[in-house]
Amino acid sequence: MKRRQEKLGWLFASPYLLYSLIFFVIPLFGALFLSFTNWNLISPQYENVGFLNFVKAVKSQEVRAAFFVTYKFMAMFVPIVLIGSLAISLIINSLPRFKSLFSVGYFLPYLASGVATSIVVRGILSYNSALNVWLRNTWDLNINWLGSSTLAPLIISVMIAWKFMGYYSLILTSGLESIPTEVYEAAAIDGATGWVRFFKITLPLLYPAMFTVTILAVGLVFGIFTEPYVLTGGGPGLSTNTWQMEIYNQAFSKLNAGYGSAIAIIDSVVTFITILVVRKLLEVWGEKYGWD
Amino acid sequence: MKKIAKSILVFVLVASLLSGCGTSTKSENEASQTSKEGVVTIDFWAAPNPPQQTFWKQMAEEFSKVNPNIKVNVSPMPETPSSEAGIQAALAGGNAPTISENISRGFAAQLVDSKALVPLDSMDGWNDIIKSRNMEDTIQAWKFADGHQYVLPIYSNAMLFAWRIDILKQLGYDEPPKTYSQIIELGKKLREKYPDKYLWANPDLIDSTWWKRWFDFFMLYDAASNGNKFIEGNTLVADDKAGVATLKFLEDMAKNKLLLTQVATDPFETGVSVWTTIGPWTFGTWKDKYPELKLNETYVLTPPPVPDGMSTNNVKTFADTKGLVIYAQSSLEKQEAAMEFIKWVYSNPENDMKWFEITNLPPARDDVNTNEQFKAYLKDHPELQLYAESIPNAIPPFDNVKFNDIQTLIGQKAVNPVVAGQIDAQKAWDDMKQAVQGVLK
Repeated sequence: MKRRQEKLGWLFASPYLLYSLIFFVIPLFGALFLSFTNWNLISPQYENVGFLNFVKAVKSQEVRAAFFVTYKFMAMFVPIVLIGSLAISLIINSLPRFKSLFSVGYFLPYLASGVATSIVVRGILSYNSALNVWLRNTWDLNINWLGSSTLAPLIISVMIAWKFMGYYSLILTSGLESIPTEVYEAAAIDGATGWVRFFKITLPLLYPAMFTVTILAVGLVFGIFTEPYVLTGGGPGLSTNTWQMEIYNQAFSKLNAGYGSAIAIIDSVVTFITILVVRKLLEVWGEKYGWD
Repeated sequence: MKKIAKSILVFVLVASLLSGCGTSTKSENEASQTSKEGVVTIDFWAAPNPPQQTFWKQMAEEFSKVNPNIKVNVSPMPETPSSEAGIQAALAGGNAPTISENISRGFAAQLVDSKALVPLDSMDGWNDIIKSRNMEDTIQAWKFADGHQYVLPIYSNAMLFAWRIDILKQLGYDEPPKTYSQIIELGKKLREKYPDKYLWANPDLIDSTWWKRWFDFFMLYDAASNGNKFIEGNTLVADDKAGVATLKFLEDMAKNKLLLTQVATDPFETGVSVWTTIGPWTFGTWKDKYPELKLNETYVLTPPPVPDGMSTNNVKTFADTKGLVIYAQSSLEKQEAAMEFIKWVYSNPENDMKWFEITNLPPARDDVNTNEQFKAYLKDHPELQLYAESIPNAIPPFDNVKFNDIQTLIGQKAVNPVVAGQIDAQKAWDDMKQAVQGVLK
């Protein structure tokens, strides 16, 4: 009986395993092979260059920028999206009716094309947009939104947060709904109100959902591409040059497939380590307060 | 034993499944494309824009009527993530077309380096094309470093500048300035009278994306150096004096706050700026979106400005030009069929005329200004006249395999920091040269 169940388990898992094999494992080994060559995928000749691509990547100004820019995005995006999605989920959870309707409403930006939203944002922030004309005429303020190395990453972070808040709020809303009302009622009898209830009951009991959302958000930062590609091209300077931008530039624009693969491998390792560290920190934090 | 048999069975099943996911091999494709009746089918990848596809589909249909033994399949080239990446993927997968257009000299240099292109000058019929298309002079600039011709240029846009003459008239100018100091002077007057307007609105000046240098640095450098090459073979041969002068001009404009590097929506069209680079593809958009813009009333076209004291006649400029190539991956039979098709298209000037009418892009011929057919068309489209006249002064991009790295460095080390006011022109030029020489080693 047990063997039969095991077989059934493998059978059900097989589509995903096959999918992973074709679209993840085989390409991963392909990328590993490429990263040790100087092949551009076209030339009939190529050489094994050992770790040269990795050494070059570590020394590269653009790769180093991608490394730090990603953490800059993380510092901006993760708090914005966490606070925003939590706020949305609290609002939805407190609604007396039409919860599903509002949930779907907030989820819609997730379905919007990154290219389309980037073009709209570009229009809103352009020199002769209504916003900037108003700022100049009323406050004598001329802000170069996308030309500032501080504002450009912040704008991109806000855009991506806007897109994902609705999605993450679905996870948090289901977390909120699973908190028993009796806990709040008991707290109310003890005189706990407002912020005390939020910090002493809601947040600790929402910890598992917050944990998931935080890990998802951290992972997402390493995949940022469309918004900087359309809005800033990685600039000004290299202030929005992400890992994906650099991989794209090397592999598809400069046709350095070997070097691009080496950057992709480094990116994977950095992503893996970062998620591991963040996960550990969250676990330690949860354990400290007894939330896990 | 039973276990092993089961494992083998699973392996065979998975392998069969996976083999079904793959595409047919090149030889299978070719076998299926050369039918028993002896019809050779060639694939033609056209640029991913409707006018060019319309032209090539029309050509393929007409060609097949008179050459029933050759069938030309025209399809748009993949453009995700870029047309270059699409070609790269096709070559890597062994599924490259027989011919494609939309190939720049720089990308062609990369393909040549990977032995992916057929040297067209070694094929029968090449000289006939050059002669019948009247392009003996134009093709000279397209010779690659190894002495061969790999690209047949289809069009050549001599990039020009446009001025808002209506606003210039309000400043007391009857014609646009032609030299650097005259432009700076005009810019100062403009800013004084209209503080919200700028001389040149161009966010690309602070962007290091490689191709953006074609439409700022190279337009100005080609003019300032009178067409002196930037790279020859694998050597940096740039004219130092012209290079520094070009950067100094950008530096002076930035210092005098004449440049708007912030993103703006249609700044030239809406009058936020009075000067812009312009290609002939713009006029189609203007016709629909800004019909009020009229040649010689609201705007005029000029070649790039030059440093003070330089002649303002026959000023050189950058040629935005692309052409078609034949891929070495295809069979000899297909390569020959492709050559037949090209020969047929360019043996008749009517076809170049059709191209001009459909795309607005001047054909890369020596006789665009003298051939009666083109002259009549240009008379009806005066906005294209200066483009046609400027073809002999247009310098195509250099053909080095590292073109992308080199042009990125021109942005990162020279244009971007100078416009941002971080370094002066001389230091920027020296830094850029050092970096480019490092790449060329």
